[in-house]
Amino acid sequence: MNIKRRLLLAAFALSSALPTYAHAEGLIAIITPSHDNPFFKAEAVGAEARAKELGYETLVLVHDDDPNKQSEMFDTAIARGAAAIILDNAGADATVAPVQRAKDAGIPSFLIDREIKESGIAVSQIVSNNYQGAQLGAEEFVKLMGEAGPYVELLGREADTNAGIRSSGYHDIIDQYPDLEMVAQQSANWSQTEAYEKMETILQANPNIKGVISGNDTMAMGAWAALEAAGRTDVIVVGFDGSNDVRDSIMKDGIKATVLQPAYRQAQFAVEQADQYIKTGSTGQPEKQLMDCVLITAENAEKLETFALSN
Amino acid sequence: MHAMKLSAALLALLLPLGGCKLVPTDKPAAETAEARTDEARMAAYADENWSEKVLPVIAEHTVDYAKLRQALAASVESAGDEYGLRPEGEANPWNFVVSGEGQVTEAKLDSRAAKMQVDMNGDGKPDVTLQIGPIIRGTALRDAMPFIVFTDFRDQIEFAKLARAMNEKAHAELDVPEGDVVGKTVAFTGVFTLRSVDEQPEIVPTAIEVKP
Repeated sequence: MNIKRRLLLAAFALSSALPTYAHAEGLIAIITPSHDNPFFKAEAVGAEARAKELGYETLVLVHDDDPNKQSEMFDTAIARGAAAIILDNAGADATVAPVQRAKDAGIPSFLIDREIKESGIAVSQIVSNNYQGAQLGAEEFVKLMGEAGPYVELLGREADTNAGIRSSGYHDIIDQYPDLEMVAQQSANWSQTEAYEKMETILQANPNIKGVISGNDTMAMGAWAALEAAGRTDVIVVGFDGSNDVRDSIMKDGIKATVLQPAYRQAQFAVEQADQYIKTGSTGQPEKQLMDCVLITAENAEKLETFALSN
Repeated sequence: MHAMKLSAALLALLLPLGGCKLVPTDKPAAETAEARTDEARMAAYADENWSEKVLPVIAEHTVDYAKLRQALAASVESAGDEYGLRPEGEANPWNFVVSGEGQVTEAKLDSRAAKMQVDMNGDGKPDVTLQIGPIIRGTALRDAMPFIVFTDFRDQIEFAKLARAMNEKAHAELDVPEGDVVGKTVAFTGVFTLRSVDEQPEIVPTAIEVKP
């Protein structure tokens, strides 16, 4: 063990033993799905940065969409006496119990991105206006398709409310155009590799497709890779999230559009509400809040960086 | 001894409560509500609240279209503060209830998403779109209602169905014009969401009248 490492360990021991001295405001636990998806990474980074600016110590954890793991992380946060929990949850039903447990222990939870099935347990639930965003994406999709042609929809994970809401936003627009025909609708569970495989199969059965509308950007990336591999870069692909990967694809005239969820700002806003709640007992906001999404096309893609749009 | 008697008495009082299940009186209604689809429940909600709650909000907040444009040109925020409605939260766009009169420049009335373009300032060019429906885009009508709070609804899916149900109710209450309306004068009251000052408002009308 070298000196540097030993010093680091000593510093770490000191900071965890004496959190109140090092960080006057206490501990904020930040729990999200896997950082493999840059969307969740942006949330964690955004929340952590804001928490540190406001003087908090942070504990960043990843539940990998496993409710059991999430439950253990809540126990950890409770045991560490966290001042607040920032959470992008592992299931609308399964998350009710741990959030209640934290509440009973006097620890307020602030949810981002995904809702839970009950209100009155978390202090805040701040979600993207997925319905509004999906309608934006669908309008652009319809325009790109010239209001006609066979298309495919890739759905997200069924247990996630966001999968259903985006699909219904898409269809409330697309179904107005009788010449747009959905030839396949399949779930690829938000996954890039699954979307790649599904797209390969769909393409074999429906070689005439003209467009793909996807419930998120990672699936859009998977679909696009499969289309590229099949030499079908003429197919119009529209995603949802506003990831840097899709931004780069749009700028290279690959994927045509996506919808930005302000994930970075959303996470920071949750921390600000936690801070205000800790200090005053109120966030000054209703529990459930929607944040509008923004359409990203070749026109504004260059302004997009890590789930935030610069002016 | 005294204390024991007292606690025994308390226990006797509490026991029957522990033994039986308290059934809220509204349970049967709640159960039937659960059994219905989101669409049906939200359509019923829109129906029930239309005359008593929605129309009064519309009446109270209606501003003349030309007057609003002037206020918006000066400052969106002060126009919003004075005339606008929006849910609490960060960066939610303003919704406005407007009334006005203009000349129809273009109409597509045979569509499921029927629309009219209306020239409001006499230059011959369309300034606003009236969404006649039955398919009406957006959530302006829902988001303009101060009594509708997202927290009171199960999730985004139910809340989206509510927006759609409100739009459908607005359509159902309209006197939908027929025949060739281009060139005619139309008077309307309706709600729109302001996303940018330069964007042509897509108004959800709650009343329209095509003048002969």
